[in-house]
Amino acid sequence: MKSVMPDMQPMNQTVQETPQFRVLTEDQIEQIYFAALDVLERIGSRVHHDEALKLFRSSGDAVVSEDKRVRVPASLVERALKSYPRKITLKGRNGKRSVALQKDHVYFGTGSDLPFTYDRKTGERRRTTYKDVVDAGRIVDYLDQYDFFMSHGIVGDAPNPQTYDRHQFMAMLEGCTKPMVVTSVDGEGLEDLWKMACVLQGGEEEFRLNPMFVAYIEPISPLTNDVTAVEKLLFAAEKGIPAMYTPCPSSGATAPATIAGMLVQSLAETLLAIVLCHLKKPGMPLIMGGVTTVMDMRTTTYSYGAPELSLASAANTDISKWLKLIMFSTGGCSDSKCLDEQAAIESTISNLTAFLSGANLVHDVGYIDSGVNASLESLVMNNEIIGMVRQVGKGVKTDEEHLALKVIDEVGPGGEFVTHDHTYEHWREWFLPKLMDRSDWETWNNEGAKSMSERIDEETQRILDTHEPLPIDDAAKKELKAIIDAAEKRHS
Amino acid sequence: MAVDLGKMSDLLIAGKVEDVSNMVQEAIDDGMDSSEILQGGLIAGMDVVGQRFKACEMYIPEVLRSAKAMSAGMIKLRPLLIESGAKTAGTFVIGTVKGDLHDIGKNLVAMMFEGAGFNVVNLGIDLDTQVFVDAVKEHKPELLGMSALLTTTMPRMGEVINALKEAGIRDQVKIMVGGAPVTDEYAKEIGADIYGANAASSVDKGREALGD
Ligand code: B12
Repeated sequence: MKSVMPDMQPMNQTVQETPQFRVLTEDQIEQIYFAALDVLERIGSRVHHDEALKLFRSSGDAVVSEDKRVRVPASLVERALKSYPRKITLKGRNGKRSVALQKDHVYFGTGSDLPFTYDRKTGERRRTTYKDVVDAGRIVDYLDQYDFFMSHGIVGDAPNPQTYDRHQFMAMLEGCTKPMVVTSVDGEGLEDLWKMACVLQGGEEEFRLNPMFVAYIEPISPLTNDVTAVEKLLFAAEKGIPAMYTPCPSSGATAPATIAGMLVQSLAETLLAIVLCHLKKPGMPLIMGGVTTVMDMRTTTYSYGAPELSLASAANTDISKWLKLIMFSTGGCSDSKCLDEQAAIESTISNLTAFLSGANLVHDVGYIDSGVNASLESLVMNNEIIGMVRQVGKGVKTDEEHLALKVIDEVGPGGEFVTHDHTYEHWREWFLPKLMDRSDWETWNNEGAKSMSERIDEETQRILDTHEPLPIDDAAKKELKAIIDAAEKRHS
Repeated sequence: MAVDLGKMSDLLIAGKVEDVSNMVQEAIDDGMDSSEILQGGLIAGMDVVGQRFKACEMYIPEVLRSAKAMSAGMIKLRPLLIESGAKTAGTFVIGTVKGDLHDIGKNLVAMMFEGAGFNVVNLGIDLDTQVFVDAVKEHKPELLGMSALLTTTMPRMGEVINALKEAGIRDQVKIMVGGAPVTDEYAKEIGADIYGANAASSVDKGREALGD
């Protein structure tokens, strides 16, 4: 049998002999879930949005107090939970429905909005620009292990902070043809991004069947929902735009210092959105999320490299599967200030754990400096890591052909396999390194004795010099620009 | 028997909030000089905490527990210190600028300054420029801190500084800024006095700027 495409390789399947990985037992998941329900009944979550409060009040079930706390009975949560799709397929502007979000299908992509870019040549950092976002897009567009794109950097040179998201999305579209996850300033911003995507997808209705992006939205841990986040959520619900409501708690600072406690709290935060979207429009494509990590108790850094990030995220993914929700998770990121051994180690651990857990969208790949610095080289390095990780995820096949009893017999004691047909047929199932060096000392020296670091730099430069993504046609470009210009006018 | 200030320091280092508070009260009742209690008991303890933090022997939760003990003691001492005209660490007003909802970093800075004996006024998040101006007028702080975690909100810090200038009160206060996208260079650009990269180093820089 030919190997399946790596991005179509589901995890935790018994039929397909993949490694089995889970962090929580079903009993533990239930304990966390019941505790989260209790949080919503007893403590509630604060919602700073009038329409949302109205929806909760008129539900006849939820209770809204003076201080805008919303408490929700378990019965309503459980009703709401039943209304969410278990599958969302994203289609990039390249026309490919390449991201099929469904149980145990794992896709990798970047993070967004990094204010600085780390320049390896000078060792300095500078503010990220429009061009940096386009370049990150081109890298992601080119590299085969990336399935979706978030902006990586922020367009720091945009004319107006109130409209920067439109420019950022334009830069993303210029650079990358794959499906995306987008951040926006507010509801109005999301509306413009959605209109821009509809231009490329062939209208509002086509977008509903073939969404190009998922909208990234976050509550404020602990248990707070600000006006712009809710505004985006309600807009997404209304238009059927896939959206995630992804808590970013830091254990020990904005959430309990125990992983279970952090999971309870962030699940309660998620469930509130589950109920709200259900009240707005049942069945909207909502995705569960979470950047669940610890605050480093020496530096106060929100850690992107802690093993607890990986562990808690994998546990969260277990919960998402039990709830039958699609999961947005985290991997391939680091606290290191530059692209070095620390970045490689941390990226590897989180990529591997996220992949094995079966999270659907693994984002923040390529983040360094705890979500502050961008690095194109980190994207290139992680491509290799993800390739290796996916290889581990393939598992071991044990059918007749793979047990190879016949071949062992044919070769017999003292023979060789190199020239056997079976080898010819099967060796391509292996991982083919692009940047990992497996040569001998002599060859390596003759080829310039290059470290991994140098090979990464060269590959990054090569992609930037050569890869041109499919252009956006002129008519569509005009329409996109008109949407951006209109936004500029409104906000000037 | 005179109150044992060494023991007070030890309790503070161990983060015994109530014990420290009680002991400060005892010392006051005993008629001990308020500056002596501050220096020999509380500050001596916090100095050790600071050293241990730098040496990786104490971590943030422990440091903040000690800071809480310090601040509990200061609640009792501050009125007496002011009465006697003794020099106190001063008042620190801090908040996150308009449009920005990032909270926890700013709160940690506030707690650390409390631990250094400052009277801290934490204004909150998402604050209009005028709120900062009014707070400077009302509290007359020695130090004003502003936090911004977004490139899109950090220009607000410059706006506050300009508004303080317009109100003619810019020079009454040292201004300190911080947050992920903020740099030393940017702080200079907008006319702030100090850039604070993290809570612990900010306290050192703040004290230094006030001439301690
Ligand atoms: C957690 C987090 C959030 C949480 C905050 C929850 C809370 N209760 O505070 C939530 C989920 C709400 C959030 C929201 C958003 N966030 Co945010 N967030 C973060 C994250 C991951 C960590 C911040 C943190 O808590 N750090 C830990 C604390 C303890 O450290 P700290 O805040 O840096 O503070 C320390 C120092 O900076 C310094 N300091 C801070 N303030 C001050 C002030 C003074 C006076 C001094 C002296 C020192 C000082 O001392 C502190 C203690 O040591 C950062 C990434 C990062 N590494 O900074 C992104 C980050 C700041 N967020 C970002 C973004 C884009 C957003 C959103 C716009 C996302 C969106 N599109 O919706 C929204 C904006 C909401 C808003 N209007 O403010 C970007 C900023 C990009 C930019 N524009 O510049 C970052 C860099 C991540 C990224 N690459 O995307 N975020």
